[in-house]
This record gives sequence, structure tokens and C-alpha cells, in this order.
Amino acid sequence: MISVTNLTKFHGSQRVLNGVSLTVNRGEVTALVGPSGGGKSTLLRCINGLETFQSGGVEVAGNKLAGGPTHDSRVLQKLRLSVGMVFQQFHLFPHMSVLDNVMSGPLYALKQKRGEAEATARKLLDRVGLKEKADARPANLSGGQQQRVAIARTLAVKPLAVLFDEPTSALDPQMAKEVLAVMRDLAADGQTMIVVTHDMDFAERATVVHLMQAGEIVKSGPPAEILKEHR
Amino acid sequence: MKKLPSCRRFALALLLLSLPALATAQEKKPLRWGTDPTGGAPYIYRDKTGEYTGFEFELAEYLAEKLDRKSVLVEGDWANLPQQLKKPADVENGVDIILNGYELRKDLAAKYGVTRPYYVYRLTLMASKESDTTTWDDLPGKSVGVLGGSAAHRYVKKRYGRTVDLKTNPDVANVMKLVNDRRMDATVQDSPAATYFLSEYGGLKGVGEPVQAGDLPGYYVIYYRKSDVELGKALDGALSAGLRDGTFKKIYSQKKYDLWNADQEALLPTLDKPWPPENLPAEESPWPDLIEELLLSAGMTVFLAVTSFPLAMAIGLTVALGRVYGVRLVSIPLGIYVEVIRGTPLLLQLFFLYYVIPEMLLNTERDWFIWLAKEISPLRAGILGLAINYSAYEAENYRAGLLAIPKGQMEAALALGMSRRTAIRRVVVPQAWRIVIPPVTNDFIALFKDTAACSILFVTELTRKYNELFNFNRDLVIELAFLTAGLYLAMSYPLALLARRLERRLAGGKGGHP
Repeated sequence: MISVTNLTKFHGSQRVLNGVSLTVNRGEVTALVGPSGGGKSTLLRCINGLETFQSGGVEVAGNKLAGGPTHDSRVLQKLRLSVGMVFQQFHLFPHMSVLDNVMSGPLYALKQKRGEAEATARKLLDRVGLKEKADARPANLSGGQQQRVAIARTLAVKPLAVLFDEPTSALDPQMAKEVLAVMRDLAADGQTMIVVTHDMDFAERATVVHLMQAGEIVKSGPPAEILKEHR
Repeated sequence: MKKLPSCRRFALALLLLSLPALATAQEKKPLRWGTDPTGGAPYIYRDKTGEYTGFEFELAEYLAEKLDRKSVLVEGDWANLPQQLKKPADVENGVDIILNGYELRKDLAAKYGVTRPYYVYRLTLMASKESDTTTWDDLPGKSVGVLGGSAAHRYVKKRYGRTVDLKTNPDVANVMKLVNDRRMDATVQDSPAATYFLSEYGGLKGVGEPVQAGDLPGYYVIYYRKSDVELGKALDGALSAGLRDGTFKKIYSQKKYDLWNADQEALLPTLDKPWPPENLPAEESPWPDLIEELLLSAGMTVFLAVTSFPLAMAIGLTVALGRVYGVRLVSIPLGIYVEVIRGTPLLLQLFFLYYVIPEMLLNTERDWFIWLAKEISPLRAGILGLAINYSAYEAENYRAGLLAIPKGQMEAALALGMSRRTAIRRVVVPQAWRIVIPPVTNDFIALFKDTAACSILFVTELTRKYNELFNFNRDLVIELAFLTAGLYLAMSYPLALLARRLERRLAGGKGGHP
């Protein structure tokens, strides 16, 4: 469903991704692990078009991105509706309530009616365990709660796949646990995900693990195989 | 009978030149008389040879000679001249008397010595010969020009209230011309000026009968210092003599003035009665009128501010969005716009909008442009000028606000599948708006006061009204200044309070600081 072929990206003269290829099938949980600066987050950002790249290609559910200085904005929008993203720093919209945050995608991207969007949003908040926080402001939530809201917000547009960019790195262990529990729950439900993570417990339950170093995928395989050596 | 003044002067000059022994005549004590020659004919004006003439000029020459003093003309501003009597006579622009169509008024008579009248005026209504104004009762609904602060001004206001469109103007000749050219419907003027201009401008007609301005006949009198008792007596003596022996009749009857009439004949019997008459009708307090006028013009100030500022905000936001998110072809010209507008004075921009641009449009000789040029009224130019000027500052505020929003906000919105446009509208701008509310409110308060610049376009807002009232009420200068400043403060301070509240509420809403 997601395929990356021979992706190469430079920051100036520095090569950040060097011919990366990978495929993600429906229902798979893919974990990207490896040292900081290895290009994991950049790869994720290239997949949903937040970054451009010089050569190679990305295809998500039939939407293709190619190398070049810009992407076609229509293709980008369609692609992004099929692949959601959860950020390390949550990036909730501070001027909206929790409920409005979760509804923002359906309302402003999918142009759904308010009633429909609200029903979905409340269900999702329930699923991440924050039903009673619907009217709160993001600033009044803990980091873990904020990240769970961010996950609900991403799921609200019903993406085929979700990209998680170090979703627990900004959280203390207790809060990280809450977030990981939600993610495991999603994975169990068959949600396609690519997760950049340093959390080995989570990576162990992934379908495939890719180890990235210096802009290249140096090893791929089942978690047991890859993680043993990585440790 | 006396010789004509100019002849007398000429003769005197000859004598002085040929007979130095007579130089003592030059040491006559001067009679410094204050007048405003811009008030014009027939009171005092320059004839074709450039020499001063006018019935009051001739009167002053007569009085000086009668008092055996040397006539010295001191020019001043009509409304300001009475104040000159508070200073000594021998300072620069000091005067002994003021003689320039000042009527007998209780407030002036209380402060200064007042002579017997030298002329009785009425108020004459004039309109264009082609106008449908044929009686005084036709005035409601018409535009009527008057000399601001004059008896005519008070009379029209009292008789017609707000049913007429009262236009005050400091220049009599200008008002006459406007009526003559049918750009104003009518004017009410003192009868001497009316008589003169009716013969001067072919397009004018007198309407109805001239009326008496108040309860008493309209007496022109001379004011002097209360302490100059002797001078007052001498002036009264000279005036009575001039009236009795026919000197005044001779001066006033000259064809160029044509001012002698039954009202002047009726002055003779009053010479035996005490003067000034007791129980002068009290002057009405000027304050109700002044306050009403100031409040109305404060309304215009508010109108200018509340119409121009939203426009400035809209233009500013558009410019800021273009600068932050636009391609270079858009952002560079917008950057230049901001710098040009910020770098030139508001006054100049207003001049440009009202004078230069219409001129340029007219020169194109294209119908549409000519139509546009004629649509630029002072009020529209004022609103647009303020809006454009402030749009540059608002653009910078918004630009700073937009740039202050973390990049992640835009990325999160895009990742949800929003278009860039929607992300800007729903996510970035609302957050930027919260950041810029304090500086924007500040700018609104600043713009509120900058509306005063529109006074140069003849928009009657608070500052222009203050200037106008100040000119006709010199003795209330300080009170008026404080009142005007107070009005500005009374309007802008609540705005400042509102700004602070908004700021606090928004900070609270953001959850950061209560």
C-alpha cells in the first residue's frame, strides 16, 4: 500500500537519504529504528510530502510523488488524506477545544457536516480514553493526553495508514505507556502504521523492523532478528 | 465740513516737507484703532489705487481729527481684536479702540468701555437671482452661508435650528461668490456688506426685508479700555457731533457705500438718552452650542475611525498573507507597498488622494476615470487615506503574528489533508490574530487620534471643529482646548481599557497565563 523506491534526499550537499526503498502492506506495523540523525524522521516526512526529495519515488494508495523542488498540491492533498501523521511534539491546535481539534480534519479537509464529524470525534476520544476532556483546551492536558488527542485527530479522517514520528520521545515513561497502549490497540485492530521509535518494547511487536543508519536502511526483517543485534 | 482724509494727509505731508517748523504736528498722540481689513468692503478695503478706504476708515480718520490725534491703523484678526484691549496700547499691535462692525453686546460691554453707536445694521438675506428663494420662510432645507460667530450666525441658528444647512466661513467675499455661483443657496449678512455685494455681484438678489438681529436694533459701536474714561467721553462727543452735523450722513451717503437710511435717522433722538441702554439683553451662554458642535464633530471622529480601521485591517491582513505565503512576484511588490506607505507622512497621503490622484484621473479624459475622480469626496478620501496608511502598520503586525506561529501547526494541518489555504484560514490566522490583538488595538487608538489629519480635507471632525470654534471664541480658548482634549481622552481611554481586557481574556484562553 505504501512503497518507497530508491529515495534520495540532500540537505544542501549533505545526503540525508541515500536510495531508500521499502514497502508496507495493509495491516502491517512497520518500525523504523536506529540512531538519531539516521534519516528515520526525514523518511517519514517524505512519505506524506512534508519534505521534497531529489530523486526516487513515493507511492501511497495510488498517489505518486516524484523527486523535484515541489509536489503537485492536489496529489499531495489526496495522499495526505490516505496517510495520517502523529508528531513528536503533538502539534495540537491551541485555539481549539479537544473536540474541535479532533473534528478539524473531517470539517476542514473532508468538508463533513458538523453532526457527523462530532459523532466520529466523540467515538475516537472515547477510544483513546479522553471522552470527558472533549471541551478542555489542549494546554490544560498532560503531554500523554495531548498525544492521545493527536492520535484521535489523525484517525478522524480515516487514513489508510498512520505515520508516527517518535510519538513518545517527548513524554515521561508513565505517559509514554498510555500512548503506547493506544498504539498497540490500533495495531491489534489492523491499522497500517509506520512508527519511528526508540521504544524497543513496541518495536518488538511490529511486523517488520527496518534499521536505519546514515540515510540508508541497513537491515530489515522480523523484530526478533533485527532487534537482538541492534541491542 | 472736513476735507477728504486722503487729501488731508497729502496736504499734511506737503506741509511737513516744506515747513520743518511744523514738525510738532507729528508728535500728536496717536489714536491706534484696531480693525481687520480682510473683513472687506464696505467697512475697510483698498480702492483701485491701493489706498485704504471704507466707511469705517473714513470714520476713524474723522474721529482722530476730532480728538486731535494721529490715526494709526492696527491690523488684527476680527475675532481676536477685543483681546488686544487687555494689553497696553503702546505694545506692538496695541490698540486704543477697536472699530470694525462690532455690535453692542452685553458680554463685551461688561469688559470694555463702549461708545454710542455709529451705525445701525440689519441682517439681509441674499440668494442667487435665479434661485427659488423669495422669502425668509423659504430657507428651511437650503444651505446658508454665514460669517462664523457673527450675529447672522446666531440669528439663523436661533430662527431655523437644524432645518437649514448652516455653513460657516470666515471670508465674506468668498461666501458671496459661492452664492453668486449657485454653489450655496443663500447667505445672511450684515446690511452694509449686503448692500455693497449686491451692487458688486450681478447674480445676487436681496430676499425679503432686512431684519433686526435681536431685541435691540443692531448697533455698531466702538470699544475701548474701561480705564480710558476720558477717551470714551471724547469719542461719544465726536460721534454725537458727527451724527448731528451731517458728517456721517455725508460719509454714508456716498455712492460707493449707499448706507444712509431711516435706521440712521432714528439714531438722532437716542443721542439725548443715557448710553448704553440699561438692561441690555443677556447674551446666551455659548456653551450649549459649543458643546453640541463638539459632540457632533466627535461623532465624525468616531465615524472616521470605525470605518477606516476595519478597512486597514482587511488590507493589512491581505498584504501580510501575500508577503508571508506569496510567491516572490507577489511578496516583493507588497514589501515595497509597506515601506512606501510607512515611509511617507499621512498628511501627504491624504493630499495625494484628494488632490493629486483626482487631478491625474481628470487628465486622462476617460469617462470612467473622470467619474471616479468626481466620486472622491473629502470624507471618502479621508477614510481611504487613513485605511491605506494604517494598512501598512497592520500588515507588519500580522506578518509578525503569522511568523510567530510554530511551523508544526501548519504541518499538522497539512498532514490532516487540509489545503494550504484552509490551513492558513483555520489554523494559522486565528492563532496569529490572538498574538496581534494588543498591537492592533494600540494602532486603533493611534488611528483614532490621527483622524485629526482629515481636518486638512475639510472633514469637520473634532480637531477641525475645535479650530473653527476657537477662531470665533478667543476668550474661551483654554476651556475649548481642555474640552477637546478631554473628548479625545474620553473616547480613547475606554478603548485602552477594552484592549487590556481583551488581552487578558485571550491570554487566559490560551491557557498559558491566567
